[in-house]
Amino acid sequence: MNTKPWKHPLGQAAIVVVLAYVLFEWGIWLLPPLFGVASAPVPATVVLQYMGTVVVGVLIWVSDSEERWKQFKAPIHRVMVDPRQKVLRTALMVTIPLLVAFMTFDRVRPTVSAPAALRSVHPAPPGQIDFRGETMVLNGLENPLRHEGDLEEHYEEGKRIYVQNCMPCHGDALDGQGHFASAFNPAPLSFQDPGTIVQLTESFVFWRIAKGGPGLPREATPWDSAMPAWEDLLTAEEIWQVTIYLYEQTGWEPRTWEEEGAEGEEH
Amino acid sequence: MFPGVDKTSERNVPKPGMTWRSGAGPILLLGALALLVMAEPAFAQVPAGRDYGDFPVIGGRAAVWIAAQVHLLFAAFVLGVPMFAVVTEAIGMFGGDERYDKLSKEFTRLLLVAYSATAIWGGILLFLLVTIYPTLFSYLAQIFNLSMWIYVGLFFFESFTLYLYYYGWDRWKKGRAKWFHWGLGIALNVWGTIVMFIANGWLTYMMSPPADVTVDTAPQMIQLWTALTNATWMPINIHRLIANVVFGGAVVGAYAAYRFLAAKSDEERAHYDWMGYVGNMIAIGALIVLPFAGYWLGREIYEFNQQMGITMMGGFMSWLWIIQAFLIGILFLAGNYYLWVGMGRIPGAERFMPYTKYMLAVLIVGVIVWATPNTMIASREEFAAMGGTHHPFLSVLGLMSGKNTAVNFMILTTFLSFLLYRRANKEPVVPWARTGTIVQGAIFIIASAVVLFYGIYGYRVPTIVRIGFSVYQVLTVLACIIGVITIDLLMLRGATSRGTIRWGRMPARSQYALFILAVTFTWLMGLMGFARSGIRQHWHVFEVIRDTSPWAATPALGYSSVVISACVLIFFGLVAFIFWLGSLAEKPVISSAGRTSAAGGIQSDLQPAPSEG
Amino acid sequence: MLKTNLSILAVVIGCLAVFTWVANAIPQLQSDVPEDLVLSDDVTPAELIAAGEELYNGGGGCTACHGLGERAPNLLTDHAGTGLIGERCANRVPGEDCKQYLHTSMVDPNAYLVEGFAPIMLDASRTLSSVQIWAIVAYLQSLGGEVTVTGADFADDGGAAPAGGVVASAPAAPVLGPTGPLDPEELLTRYTCATCHAISGPSPLGPSYEGMGSRLTADEIRTSILDPTASAAENFEAMLGIMPPIFGNIPAAELEAIVQFIASQR
Repeated sequence: MNTKPWKHPLGQAAIVVVLAYVLFEWGIWLLPPLFGVASAPVPATVVLQYMGTVVVGVLIWVSDSEERWKQFKAPIHRVMVDPRQKVLRTALMVTIPLLVAFMTFDRVRPTVSAPAALRSVHPAPPGQIDFRGETMVLNGLENPLRHEGDLEEHYEEGKRIYVQNCMPCHGDALDGQGHFASAFNPAPLSFQDPGTIVQLTESFVFWRIAKGGPGLPREATPWDSAMPAWEDLLTAEEIWQVTIYLYEQTGWEPRTWEEEGAEGEEH
Repeated sequence: MFPGVDKTSERNVPKPGMTWRSGAGPILLLGALALLVMAEPAFAQVPAGRDYGDFPVIGGRAAVWIAAQVHLLFAAFVLGVPMFAVVTEAIGMFGGDERYDKLSKEFTRLLLVAYSATAIWGGILLFLLVTIYPTLFSYLAQIFNLSMWIYVGLFFFESFTLYLYYYGWDRWKKGRAKWFHWGLGIALNVWGTIVMFIANGWLTYMMSPPADVTVDTAPQMIQLWTALTNATWMPINIHRLIANVVFGGAVVGAYAAYRFLAAKSDEERAHYDWMGYVGNMIAIGALIVLPFAGYWLGREIYEFNQQMGITMMGGFMSWLWIIQAFLIGILFLAGNYYLWVGMGRIPGAERFMPYTKYMLAVLIVGVIVWATPNTMIASREEFAAMGGTHHPFLSVLGLMSGKNTAVNFMILTTFLSFLLYRRANKEPVVPWARTGTIVQGAIFIIASAVVLFYGIYGYRVPTIVRIGFSVYQVLTVLACIIGVITIDLLMLRGATSRGTIRWGRMPARSQYALFILAVTFTWLMGLMGFARSGIRQHWHVFEVIRDTSPWAATPALGYSSVVISACVLIFFGLVAFIFWLGSLAEKPVISSAGRTSAAGGIQSDLQPAPSEG
Repeated sequence: MLKTNLSILAVVIGCLAVFTWVANAIPQLQSDVPEDLVLSDDVTPAELIAAGEELYNGGGGCTACHGLGERAPNLLTDHAGTGLIGERCANRVPGEDCKQYLHTSMVDPNAYLVEGFAPIMLDASRTLSSVQIWAIVAYLQSLGGEVTVTGADFADDGGAAPAGGVVASAPAAPVLGPTGPLDPEELLTRYTCATCHAISGPSPLGPSYEGMGSRLTADEIRTSILDPTASAAENFEAMLGIMPPIFGNIPAAELEAIVQFIASQR
């Protein structure tokens, strides 16, 4: 090769493919947060789809002019037939099948993870629930204890309730790392996580504590939540107290009802 | 309106039924044996036979599905090709270039052999329907009896017109006789179109029966005209009319590609290179307007029945549209690739070659955006990392606003490719050439800006407003295409040439792009046929006659794709065989045509079918 | 030439293989045929609800619009602060109780169009049988309300003249009625009610039926049987929760006989 690799079509093609892979695998995940836009790792199937498109594009580019196509093929051809390239050729002949074999192995290898399933982490709460035979309208419901009694007292009481009932799973640091936590899938929620209780109103938290895993609505299935329904074991006041404890201890502010209305897109 | 228990139970008892899924098939030839069927006394009583027939191994539904789909593919070819055969003949007549006349005749020769295949498969379909879905067939026959007779009659007219058109080609070659001959071609199209409209009436009736037809309506009571002109009839007619042209162009392109690769002489190669180019041009040109017809059809479906529309777009078929996006992406890429490779044979095209990579980049980004799924496939861990089934960043691309913008940019880019190709060896001589080019560029920039504006603005308005935006985007693109092509036609009048196109000097890989185009078009037709009839779900006639056969459940895409692939394979296998038969008896017509094109093609170089752009 | 033919064949087969593979790689959804619903008129509310729920979420196609989205009023959870469908249904139209309202809304959807929505819904009786419609009504009632649909509702349909629309042409088949005369006292013994509630005189555990009809309406009695924790009789507050909530399994016709009997005990 006389020309520099990045001037040669083969080298350019390789660079584009690698750059595209870096962009799809890490760029989409890590770049938008720099500009304050939320992002997340891209699922492997989507990366595969994008890479397929890019590879097709690159092949179109190298072959749409006769001259470039010849240039592109030349080094490949040379490696395939030139006696002096025997070492490289043999190396490729060994590594490429090995690579394919490894990828195949990696795909079919049995893993411990459960099959993919769709689930809604924060299902829409019902408008009202039946709590110990009483109807509670959740919509617009505030924690009544925030306006009556001594907040400090509620906090202390909530702490006692938490330690007695919740700590084994949700952990003493409210991080979802209790003694039993590793036995469950889905794992107990970490209340420290900025994606959990801070996104929710206190009435939602009340609902989840009261009704637990068995009370999840249909759209939240499949759901193997081990969370018990606490309504038979705790009174409404106790649940509100433990809710106060959750928010006070983590330092999060509960979502208020005024913020409601920013619904997601359809589909 | 309150059926009692008795009625309820009756309603759930097996009903007469027919293919709930006749592929995409207008049941051409269905009427050919209608008389026979009507004469059978057993069929006169609708509730008499309630059974479904069976078919070994693949089952009754798959048998009818394949027969209908293959029949439809041949029919679409037979109906699409005459449309542009007549146009090319006219170009030959009025332009005085005999090359087009030869081309038109060659199209018609393909037509002749495909015609009998259409009839054979129509017969197969009819017999399968009568044996596998006897009762629904007789139900339809009771409604559509008169139209079935007319249909058979038209078949006579159509085939004899075709024979006259082809065999009279050389006899009526000059003067007034040529006009008569051209009139025959137009008549051929008229018959064909009426035939298709009638068959479309039957199948759209099954999809969208008139609102006053209910379970209890006796078939004899249904007015034929009301049944034919149901809600989706006209949209399907128009959609299929255009799609047939696309399909005909693509198959003709594949045929030319095959002959190109098999060619022994340079002349032959030059001729088939040119024919392939024309076929590709027709296909891509008609494809660009197809989405508008599809949009209309979709809207009518929503208007007919909201739930049917939602089943189609958002329900269990939503993944089908990801596949469709993937296929259309392939069409765009293959079509552009063919044009770009083709620039290699045009002197003067070198100056535009550096821009192809930017156009390619736009296309690739467009395909990526367009095929981004809204609900992604991922493992449990990946969902956990995304915090749900929607990717926080990419799901923005998965929405309609992003997708419409992407596809409009893809259309604009393809149109630009075509313009550059057209311009490649020309040097405009009109004094305002420079201004004209600047205006053309400005139109492109304005159109892109408008499309982009509505694309971004679409995220900030409610759904109902956003739906309207896609119309603005599409109209902008259409206006841009019309405006630019008008300027281009005026500007290139009397343009000087930088050299003739070296027809035939085309690398073989470009011809494979034509094959990919044809296969993808065909497969896409099969897929859309599945979508169209699949939205009826477990109904033979939507909400009137229930499918109670063992095959009533609408299959998943995986199974459907296997059936569609089988249909495409059967179709191309037969096409290859028929064309090979045709070439056995062929006289060396080509060499003279090739000579004309190689020598005489210089003057008219790039004129083929610009109207299709 | 053989080589060319083979490579053309390879391109065609390759294309088809890729398309087929992609179509098989995505999630496979099959659209199943809705199950036929055959319910006799001694169906229990629990069976009705279960059938209705399945239809609602499946073959009935209701969730296409009445999901959590904005196409149609939300029937699964609270709608715009008016409560769940089972509780708001009774207040929607004066003079129509919950059951009537829901049923009319299904077979004549534009009769009581909810404000802010377009009249896009189709007459459900085009796709669903009468039994299926009643099952869905029962399911909707169960969301926050009390189920009052009984087998008698769809048994009645055969005779009742439809309000406008096509008159059913099929002759009415014999209605599957209860197998014999319903003896309420026998039923009260069979379902062990009498173990706790005396029919007359002092009661072993729960309130006596004597004079219960003067205190409670038939609807309240039905509620109390189906949901024993809903309310407690005076002086029996401490007993709340002792009566098991299992009586929803009593066939509707029999339950109705029991209710009418208790209501007549003045």
